[in-house]
Amino acid sequence: MIVGKQKSIAEIREIVSPYKKLLVLGCGTCVKTCFAGGEDEVATLSSALRLLFKKDGRSIYIEELTVERQCEDEFIREAAVAISKNTAVLSLACGAGVQAIARRFANVPVLPGVNTTFIGVLEKQGLFTEECLGCGDCQLAVFGGVCPVSRCAKKLQNGPCGGSRIGKCEINPETDCAWQQIITRLTALGQLDNLRKYNPPKDWRTSHAGGPRKLVREDHVI
Amino acid sequence: MIKKIQPQITLFYCINAFNDRASLSVLSGVAFELKTVKMACSSMVKDVFLLRAFEAGADAVAVFVCPEGQCRYVEGNIRAKKRVNFIKKLLDEIGLEGRRLSLHNAESGDTENIGKIFRQILSDINDMGPNPAK
Repeated sequence: MIVGKQKSIAEIREIVSPYKKLLVLGCGTCVKTCFAGGEDEVATLSSALRLLFKKDGRSIYIEELTVERQCEDEFIREAAVAISKNTAVLSLACGAGVQAIARRFANVPVLPGVNTTFIGVLEKQGLFTEECLGCGDCQLAVFGGVCPVSRCAKKLQNGPCGGSRIGKCEINPETDCAWQQIITRLTALGQLDNLRKYNPPKDWRTSHAGGPRKLVREDHVI
Repeated sequence: MIKKIQPQITLFYCINAFNDRASLSVLSGVAFELKTVKMACSSMVKDVFLLRAFEAGADAVAVFVCPEGQCRYVEGNIRAKKRVNFIKKLLDEIGLEGRRLSLHNAESGDTENIGKIFRQILSDINDMGPNPAK
């Protein structure tokens, strides 16, 4: 899922301050799971903003709504009436959701309330870790299901480096060495021979280095 | 003559920790307005409920929980503590002062402790003044 973190109240206050009628729009999928922009976070942030502006002697009308997904037109439509009643939208979705809303409602300012952080997993309640960079050329089959692109600080294709210490990374001793994990996992799978093969330098053209990417599924395009 | 406005306190309490409103009689004669919200477990105190109590005009909000290790639902009081700490920080960011929100271990019948808690809260309100977002 996409993991995000809500912006600070000070930053949100700055970006919403020109507006008098604000829709705080949540997203009920990824950012809900990471406690950044679901229904609960919409309610808490809206309440905090009302208190903040009232304390400052300013009046602001805040409407609250959460749609299932802000990155799909089908769900965005549900927000159309609420958006039309407000002068700005504070979106608590990831960057894709914010842009999808902005694209559909060209005349309404759409403001981000969340910093989109990474693609990751919920490791345990309240702990999210980065697992994928979206490089566009997945080689997890070679590496036993542990990604050196996202989890090795040096993105080594043929590791480990000399900085691996007792299973930890020299960049941050709290971070597990991805290459240690690759070797442990491949050993358990009986596939350690995978590492006898040289992995050529990664072709980053399939990643964001090639500019914004597009995926077309002709079989679904009408 | 200007009528002095009484401080408003909202109390959220876990019924397993404290379910004896009679214990609050220790506060009779103290001038303040008290709203109470009882919960089956203190873990039911969501972030937004605490903030909405301030929106509704509370000058201070208190949460009564079971002592650590004694929650009937194992970790409800720990969750409540974490939420209270989160909202205290948020109140500081807003400029309302995190001190307006507090969490306490309180047991029914322990009138001495309850009296002490409320006197401290009222003293804090006196220092901070009324909720500026009223």
